[in-house]
Amino acid sequence: MANVMELVNVSKRFGSGHTAVNALSDVNFEIQQGQFVSIIGPSGSGKSTFLTIAAGLQTPTSGKVLLNGTDLATQSEKQRLQYRFDHVGFILQSSNLIPYLTVSEQFKLIDRLAHQKFQEKEMRQLLDRLDLKNLDDAYPNALSGGERQRVAIAKALYHEPDIILADEPTASLDSTRSFDVVDRLVSEAHDLNKAIIMVTHDERLITKSDVVYQIDDGKMQKLENKETVESHN
Amino acid sequence: MYLGLKEMRYEKLRYSLLTGVMVLIALVVFILAGLAGGLSQGNRLAVDQWQAKYVYLNKDANKNIMASQLTTDATNDVKGKQVANIALDSTVVRKIGSNNKIDISALGTANNSFIMPKVTSGHKVQRDNQIIISQNLKDQGIKIGDKVRLGSNDTKLTVVGSYGKSTYSIAPTMYMNLATLAKIKAAGTPVTKPLGINAIITKDSQLSGNKHNLQRLPINDFIQNLPGYSAEQTTLNTMIYFLFAMSLAIIGIFMYVLTLQKQSLFGVLKVEGIGTRHILASVVTQAAVMSVISVAIGLLITIGIGAIAPTGMPFALNYPQLGIYAISLILASILGSLLSWRTIAKINPVTAIK
Ligand SMILES: Nc1ncnc2c1ncn2[C@@H]1O[C@H](COP(=O)(O)OP(=O)(O)OP(=O)(O)O)[C@@H](O)[C@H]1O
Ligand SMILES: [Mg+2]
Repeated sequence: MANVMELVNVSKRFGSGHTAVNALSDVNFEIQQGQFVSIIGPSGSGKSTFLTIAAGLQTPTSGKVLLNGTDLATQSEKQRLQYRFDHVGFILQSSNLIPYLTVSEQFKLIDRLAHQKFQEKEMRQLLDRLDLKNLDDAYPNALSGGERQRVAIAKALYHEPDIILADEPTASLDSTRSFDVVDRLVSEAHDLNKAIIMVTHDERLITKSDVVYQIDDGKMQKLENKETVESHN
Repeated sequence: MYLGLKEMRYEKLRYSLLTGVMVLIALVVFILAGLAGGLSQGNRLAVDQWQAKYVYLNKDANKNIMASQLTTDATNDVKGKQVANIALDSTVVRKIGSNNKIDISALGTANNSFIMPKVTSGHKVQRDNQIIISQNLKDQGIKIGDKVRLGSNDTKLTVVGSYGKSTYSIAPTMYMNLATLAKIKAAGTPVTKPLGINAIITKDSQLSGNKHNLQRLPINDFIQNLPGYSAEQTTLNTMIYFLFAMSLAIIGIFMYVLTLQKQSLFGVLKVEGIGTRHILASVVTQAAVMSVISVAIGLLITIGIGAIAPTGMPFALNYPQLGIYAISLILASILGSLLSWRTIAKINPVTAIK
């Protein structure tokens, strides 16, 4: 099966001379449709740097970031912005919902900006799958933390993105809710055949992942079986 | 657009307060415009009604008609169609048998001169000691057939006709022939010929000689030099322009502060592929909506004030001009909101992922 996303020999260096930081060194990574991939690593290891490069928010110092075969690094900032809008779904730490839009308006906004009709049926299906009934007219601040992240998942899945990037999506949740959110992400990947990358520093959350990458001091390695994570620490 | 409008709905109080401030600014702009218009009209309405093109004054008068002394034979130096002598006096009128004094501008010109107003009731000035009065003087209780006195002069004048609203030097006008006005200005001393006048008003004309030390002024130049006229207008207009700058600054600062507050949200939007253009559009939409609403409310209130303003208050609404001011206020607000453009453009989406 073809890779949805592939990073080839990606390095990212901040600064220069003896103060230079190699946030990523020679990273290789791949993910396919229907896979749920976790990236785990301690603070400062380069997880966020990886995610911003995968999202095309910044360009690598060297290497290739291939999304369905096109190299993001060669695209203009404007093209990358449009690419994110059209093909990438995001789930950020403390919910990326817009505080002054109701749940259904979060979806309507996307359609407005895409100059197309509101895909109400698609939204309904996603919200139902995520057990978010009768919340259409609620504002984000009226939702619980778990509900908010589930709406964020629904929003990330809206319009069939090629890939979903989740940046510590459980950071603001207690452990029961964290497991629930991760379980749902895993089943979305499997049931809807989506590629989902989750970045986390919490080892308990990675057990259901299809693939786990461990990152340490900018160096990334694929863990063949998940137990090695435990033995590593 | 959508984003901006939805935010205004969510943050009603915040945006209504700013709209309220904008209403006040718009109101002050429109009221000042009304006052400037009223004062302008009070000074020049009679001059506008002449529909003249050039005014001849004594060169030594420094363009001030009250300082300009000429005699009727100065017209010999002016060649052209529709040439009218004019004398004027600022005085008070009093009905005989009444103590009620009204400030007026008395204008003297030949009975058949082109600047003599067309009467709408009664008849024209035909003889000495006859006067015709403006509608606004009529509104203050003087009627056709009344006998009046001007200033401290004893001459009894008869009101024989009236014409529409007309003011000069912030006072209602009355017209009479040159001999009558000369008699009143001379106040007892015998009147000599040729009669003294202040200016020659013409349509198309040229100087054909200059025995009388004349200076030809285009009518606009003459109006700008009416006593007090440009000082008043400049003062009021400067205030109006200053208010445009103020509304730009207020909207600009307010939207800038809101933008700073929302930087992290805007960062998230950029992560999701919603770029500077859309974010700025939402900010501009908000400024446009607020300014359109506040300008509309300001206009309504101003029109209301215009309708109930007491007759003595110089207040005149010039709708095309109000329209221009309304559009300027809206443009100033939109321009103000564009000041946030750099800040929005500089927000780096990378900061949204930590
Ligand atoms: N813009 C930058 N300039 C300089 N150094 C940077 C920059 N961004 C990241 N770094 C450095 O790169 C390294 C990796 O940072 P990164 O944010 O990717 O870590 P992380 O794994 O996300 O950590 P955490 O779990 O604490 O969020 C760190 O040493 C960090 O200081
Ligand atoms: Mg991080």
